[in-house]
This record gives sequence, C-alpha cells and structure tokens, in this order.
Amino acid sequence: MKSYETIVVGGGPAGMMAAITLGSKGVKTLILDENDELGGQLVKQTHKFFGDHAHYASVRGFEIAQKLQEKIFQDTNIEVETSATVIGIYPNKMVVYAKNGKEFKATYEKLLISTGAMEKQLPFINSDLPGVYGAGAVQTLMNEYGVMPGRRFLIIGSGNIGLILAYQLIQAGAEVRGIVEALGKIGGYAVHAKKIKRLGVPIFLKHTIVRAIGNESVLGAVIAKVDNNFNIIPGTEVEKVADTICVSVGLTPLSELAEQAGCKVEYIPQLGGYVPVRNERMQTSNPDVFIAGDLSSIEEATTAMIEGKIAALEMSRNFIKIAANKKNIENEINDEIKTLALFRSGPKSAKIRTGLEKFGINIKHVPKIESYGVQIGPTGKLRAIVDCTEEIPCNSCEAACSFGAIHIGENLNSTPVVDYDKCTGCATCVTACPGLAIHMLKEDLENSTALVGIPYELLPLPEKGQKMWALDEDGNYVCDSIVKRVVKYPNKTNIVYIEVPIEFSRKVLSVSFPKKESPFVCRCEEITLDKIERVVDSGITDFEELKRLTRVTMGPCGGKNCKLVVLGILSRKTGVPISKLSHGTSRPPVKPVEFSLFMKGSDPT
Amino acid sequence: MISQASVVIIGGGIIGTAIAFNLAKLGVKDVSVFEKSYISSGSTGRCGGGIRQQWTSPMNVRLAMRSVKLFERFKLDVGMDIEYYQGGYLLLAYTEKEVEDFSENVKMQRGEGLDVVLLTKRQIAQKFPFMNLEGVKGGTWCPTDAHANPQIANIAYAMAIKQMGVDLNTYTTVEGIDTQGGKIVGVQTNKGYVKTNIVINAAGGFSHEVGLMAGVDIPTYSERHQILVTESINHVLDPMVISFRNNYYVRQTMHGSFVMGQSDKKPAKGNDLGHTIEFLEEMAPKMVHDFPFMNHLHIVRQWSGAYDLSPDAQPIIDESRSVSRYIFAVGFSGHGFMLAPAVGEAVAEMVVYGRSKTTDISNLGMSRFASKIEKEHNVV
Repeated sequence: MKSYETIVVGGGPAGMMAAITLGSKGVKTLILDENDELGGQLVKQTHKFFGDHAHYASVRGFEIAQKLQEKIFQDTNIEVETSATVIGIYPNKMVVYAKNGKEFKATYEKLLISTGAMEKQLPFINSDLPGVYGAGAVQTLMNEYGVMPGRRFLIIGSGNIGLILAYQLIQAGAEVRGIVEALGKIGGYAVHAKKIKRLGVPIFLKHTIVRAIGNESVLGAVIAKVDNNFNIIPGTEVEKVADTICVSVGLTPLSELAEQAGCKVEYIPQLGGYVPVRNERMQTSNPDVFIAGDLSSIEEATTAMIEGKIAALEMSRNFIKIAANKKNIENEINDEIKTLALFRSGPKSAKIRTGLEKFGINIKHVPKIESYGVQIGPTGKLRAIVDCTEEIPCNSCEAACSFGAIHIGENLNSTPVVDYDKCTGCATCVTACPGLAIHMLKEDLENSTALVGIPYELLPLPEKGQKMWALDEDGNYVCDSIVKRVVKYPNKTNIVYIEVPIEFSRKVLSVSFPKKESPFVCRCEEITLDKIERVVDSGITDFEELKRLTRVTMGPCGGKNCKLVVLGILSRKTGVPISKLSHGTSRPPVKPVEFSLFMKGSDPT
Repeated sequence: MISQASVVIIGGGIIGTAIAFNLAKLGVKDVSVFEKSYISSGSTGRCGGGIRQQWTSPMNVRLAMRSVKLFERFKLDVGMDIEYYQGGYLLLAYTEKEVEDFSENVKMQRGEGLDVVLLTKRQIAQKFPFMNLEGVKGGTWCPTDAHANPQIANIAYAMAIKQMGVDLNTYTTVEGIDTQGGKIVGVQTNKGYVKTNIVINAAGGFSHEVGLMAGVDIPTYSERHQILVTESINHVLDPMVISFRNNYYVRQTMHGSFVMGQSDKKPAKGNDLGHTIEFLEEMAPKMVHDFPFMNHLHIVRQWSGAYDLSPDAQPIIDESRSVSRYIFAVGFSGHGFMLAPAVGEAVAEMVVYGRSKTTDISNLGMSRFASKIEKEHNVV
C-alpha cells in the first residue's frame, strides 16, 4: 500500500488541473482515472472551447487534454494511474482501486474527488432498441474510436451537448434529422444552435420523443408536441426517419464516492441533483475531502478546471510550512474565486448561482459593458461582423484581435463591441471564435456584389472558382455564389470567401456544396429552386406570372421569407437587376389572422 | 410586336387569350394581343375561379355548358393543368319563394340538358354534414359545375398562343383605335402602331374606355368586388357554395385554401382596386356561421378585382353596327372566367365565319338593350 499526500480521483479537466496545481506546489499526488488516458470528456470534444483565453478558450477540447497531459507527465510529483477503477473509499483514508484485474490500495492526507457526471436517461417506448444512445456514447464512438454508430440521427435535448453533438455528427458526414426539445427555448448557447441551424438542422421546440420505431433496431421515432406541463398533445404525433436516437437530456453528478468518503450530500436540482455540500474553496463537510468539476455542479470544462485549481490550492496549504508561501496561495485562491465568479455572472449561469446560494456561496455582480447588438460597420470595408448577442462567458475574439478592435472588458459575459476604425479585416477573430459567430463582409457597390467570408469546419473544402449554394441562418437556399478565396488556418477553422449579389449581403450566413436534391425556395408552398428555374426557362420571366403559376411567395408568410430569393433567381436567369424587377403588391393581412378575429359580438377577452 | 395583323385583341385576360387561342386553332395566327400589364393582372387573376352552368337564362346555360365541355378538355387542348375540379355547385335557398324560383330554374336548366337537381335541406345536410344549415330551406345541386385556377388558366392560354405564333405583347397599352369611314385601319400602342382591319375589345374592366377609342359607347361600367383566400387545409369541400341571401360564394381550391367573396353593400365604382377592413368584418361572421370549422382558419390575403358590368349582368358579345369589324366580348359581370373557353370559340368563329357556329349567342348582342332589360339574378 502506497501513501500519498493527495489523491485525485477522476482525471477529467477538474482533476487534471488539480493534479497540475498540486504538483507545482510540490505536493506528492496520485491521479487515478478509469479510462486509458487522462482527459475525461475533453478527449472527445473536437470543438473549440469558450471562455477566457487564459483558460484555453478557442482551443479544441482534445487539444486541451493533450496540453494538460503533457504538464502532468513532466511533473515528477505526480503519479498517474490510468485504467484504474476506484471501487471505494474506505476508513483510514484509503482508496481502493482495480487495475489489470488486481486490487490496489493507497492512502491520502487530502482527497479530491472529481468523478464528473453521467448522462440522464429519458423514458420512452422502445428506448431499449439498439440504436438508442446517450449523446456521450456517440461522441466516444465517433471521436475517440472513429466508429459511426449510424447515418441518420435524431437528437433529444438541445443543451450544449446535444447541439455540439449535432455539429460533430455533420462534420463526420452524418445526417442530423433534427433536435427535439421539450422546453420552449433552446437549452444551450445560441451560437451553438445557430451553427447547426445554418447547416439546415431543424430544432423542434416544445416537442418530445414518444417512442422509437423498429423491431430489431431503430428505424425512426415518433415525436409529438407537448404542453406547458410537458404532457403530449394528442394528434400532434409525427414520424421521423432515423437509425440512431441520441439522448442528451442533461447530466447528473456521480456522488457515490463522495458519500462513501463521508461527505454530506444534498439534492439541489439547479446543480444537477445530489451534490456534496461544500464551501467556496471546494471543501466538503469532511475537511480532508474536496470536490471539483461536474460532481460539484453541472457546468463546463473551464469552470471545472478553475474549481480543480481552487481545490488544489486549498489542499496544498496543508503541506506548506513557510508563512510567506501560504500567503501567496491565499492570494492565488482569491484570484481564482474571482475569475470563477466572473464566469458565473452571466444569464446562462443563473441556475448555478441559485444552487450555490444554498451553500451560502454568493456570486458578486460584475458590471458589463453596453451591448450594441449586431453591428453592421461601414459598408464597403472588409470587416468582421460579430453575431454574438447572447451573454456567455467568452472573450476569445477580444484576445484574438491584435488591433484592439474588439472590446469585452473585465466581465467576459459582456457581448463584444467592435470598433470599426481599428478593424483591419484580418479575420483572426473569425477563426478564433468558438461559436463560429463571426463572419467577414465587404460590399462592392460598383458591381453590386458582396464578398462574404464564412468560417468553415467541414471537409472537403470548396475550391476557388467553385459554384456553391449560399444559405441563410436556417440553412435555406438564398442564391448561387462563387468561391473567391479559401483561407486555411492551423486551428482548422478555415474561411471560405464567396461572392453573392449585394442584396443578399446580410442574408447569407452559410455555404454548402450544391446538392442533387433541389432546395425549397418557398417553404410555405414547398416550391423548389428547380421548379422555379424550370418555369422561368419555359418563358415565364415576369415575377407576377411566375408567382401565380407556381404559388411561390403566395403562402401564409406572404413572401417575407422567399420573395427576395425568387427575385434573385429571376435576376440571375434574365440578367435584369433585382431593382428593375416588379416585386408584386403587398396585401393585408400582413400576417395570417383567424376569422375569429373579426367575429362581431365575441368576447374580446 | 408585328407591324401588321389580321386581328388585334385588346386585353390579355382570359377572354382575350382564349379568343387568340381559338383564332390560332382556326389558322389565324397573325394576331396581336395587347395587355397593358402582365398576364392575369386584371379581373381574371383576381376572380374566384368558379365554373357554373346554373344560370337563369337558357342562353347563359348553353354557353356555360359548352364552356364546361371545353374546360374538361383544357389540359389536352391547351396543355397545362389548371387545377380543374368538377366538384359541383351548391346554391342555397332560404325562403319558399327562393325554392320556387330555384325549382323553375332547374326545370329550364334540365330542359337544356343540364344535370341539375333540387335538394331538400336534409339532403344537403347529408352531403355536407360540416355545414350549419340554419335557415336553409333547400338548394340546387349541379355535379358537373366546377372550379379551377384562373391565373394558371390565363397563363396557360398565353403560353399556348405564344407557341402557336400569336404576337402577345405584355406591358403594352393601347392608346387609340384608328378608323376611316367606319372601318378599322390600325391600333396605336405605347410601343408602336399595328395595321389591322379587325379589333376585338376584350378589355374587361376597361371595356367602356376601349369602346370609346373607336367611338362606340358600350353600356358597361366597372365595380370593385372583394375576395380573400385562407391558409390551406385538407380537402373537405367539393363544390362552390353560393348563398344569395347571405351574399357569399366559397370554394376550396385543389391546393386546399378557401377562396371566397361577396358583393359589397356599396361597391366602389371604377377600377380603383383597394380593399377594406369592412369586407373581412362582414365575411367572417357569416362564413363562420355557415361553416363553423372556419372559426380558427387563417386568412392569408385579401384583394379585389373589377366586375365589368353590363345593364343586365350578362355578357355583351357583338360586332359594332357603326364601326365594321369592331367586335366586343365584354360586360361579363363577374363570370367571364367560367365562360371564356366557349366565348373564345364563339368570337373566333365570328371573326372567321362571320357568326358563332358552335354555340348560339345571338341573344348576347347590343340590340337587347333596346327592349326591356331582363337582369340575371343569380349573381354574387
């Protein structure tokens, strides 16, 4: 039996950061993890992380894991045991773990438990069919082992995990048929949601899965609308074709080991379920046991790493004899607590704040800079358009800009403000932004075109001169475009510059290779590009006649969504600029209204 | 645009293009059609799309029956699917007097060979259980009445005549008709002059003005009629339903939307085609009363079109007595679309043979206004 000053159980971001911190303070540490390599969930994250540039923002998850691993392996104070499954915490500060079929024991003076969380399950009919997976399992198969568990996916839950998974699946070449979300709004970050919407993935809000369809394996799913109490509304059931259903309805902390270690546990739903009671410095009701990461509250990797650091610093005080060093550590702890508070001061952390208040931990309000929404900037200049209006803890763009053109300030939950006098059009922020929320724009008024630079993380890359479809925020076809330039970046967020008619300079946010299947131009009436082109080719070159013949723009939206797209097609086909084309007459009602609105004598309440 | 034409047709609506189509079929292809806007921009593109044979005068019935025959073959003849649906027409009666009048009409219509019957309220309820028939006494039912998409029909004719070699000019306004000694010599447009000896006035809501261009005072005038369309739902309603008492017509298109309209209490005169909120306020209660499922149906669009009205609400198809070979097919009073194929055939025959051979339209001449006017009652 070996003895250590500290043992860290769980080698995810929290545990790794704790081990690095402990090692750097000269504390003899053992880190245990049941997987083959350290990293926890980081190893399967191919997306760039949000957060503070000091905490690996803009770095992809698996790369963060690699960096942390390197630090751990370089430090002789740290011993690493992987493929080691802790089976229990026993009296006399003893950790027992299994490795290679053998039993091992180790003792500690201080223990950090950072076992993370596991995915919640969702009961639905046939949920035991092969083809129903937890989202994390799909990520492991796909990103760690290179195995695609299916071709057509339906994702249940629109939290960040569900949204990120959808994006990763598309990157891997799979088809995502939709994301089902029981709430009336998207759970995860808006930028994550926009990223996949632009790729054409629909998000079905106020819907749930009723059943999986199939006998041997999943062939599809029945989804239905739910009311405000999450009851299925009968008659709203629809079938979706999919061979894989991914459930990502949240995580729940793995608190078993903490309980065995004598930590008091409370049920705090805002933090994810049963969590160990702890103080601001991650110390539990057992003064020798600390926690960090998802076990303490379901959040993300950055906060996990900071918590790991705080816990480690507090633990290390026990082993430091020199008063001056103790004082330094005290300062470090306070700095980290402040950083953590900054991360948690945004609207997306409201639940966490409420949960932490139950432990007497209050997050101070930090002022934010004024938001300007999406700034358009000066027409004609090559510049960055930052579409980031949701307050999330991230300042990668500010850090990426060498010219000081993007300002976020101390509270990184502020939304970025661009100073277009300073923006040089270098596009570094575009490739740095983890949310792919920045694109480049330059209008050419003389030629009535616009150059749009779109961050692109799919393969293969388009080539210069290639014809592509330009798409809008929902992945709908807007117009044809020509690739003017493709700029490759070492971080794999490349930028594809396309030229579009100037009318679409603000509409185009995405780009795709032309598909065999013709896209819907008019979604109300389900009129495809192909159909419109055929009618124009048959000699109908007048918008009014085209409209009457195909019903394009005549549906419930009154053409608000597609009229400009149709005029663009007509303009391209006829060579007549859009400004010279007749664009029809607007007629009431501007939005469809029920007959009941005009029922005289009906009670207006 | 050609500089010389055998025939000039003024108006590219369903009547003008149907005449051009029939002329081309009879071999007359050097025909110029002038449309001041786009195809289906006038009354055709704005109409309800009903195709009815249940009229109160035998000649109207015959013309409409011929029209239905041609509509049945439209796809083959003209080459496009116009969402034609033979779902019948249901006319509702609310008083004993109305039932009596309807039964007289049915007798006459059956005499003309039309398959039409009188229905009791119970029979109507069985056929259309989703309707609220409060106050209804009975109705008439003609299963071969139909409806179609007038805009597509108009464009279909336009595309067909272009292919057949007809000189179709959109966005071309006729500015004058040149006559010499009671004969036509040419037509002046904003895009040039075309020599011709035959002019057909098919100008719909502008028929009176175009008449005056050749010095002919045609007794027609325009009146605005409003109309609306709803979102589309699954098919439930086969026929066009007309209630003269409740003042509406309604049909469900093949596309699933409902198209409906009424006669306003004080219809605006002329071709000023606006729309009023009163129209929606008047339509909603009566439509929801008679069709309760419509309560939560969404209105998508309202618009209006001009009825080109004649003194007896019946078409005027004739050749001018003062200007030789000045033919008019006007005054359709809100039912031009449904008659167009037969009128196109008849007028083409008038041009080529000097008279309509297939259908007798002798009663539709101007001379009828010299005697007492018998107004068509069955008009919404």
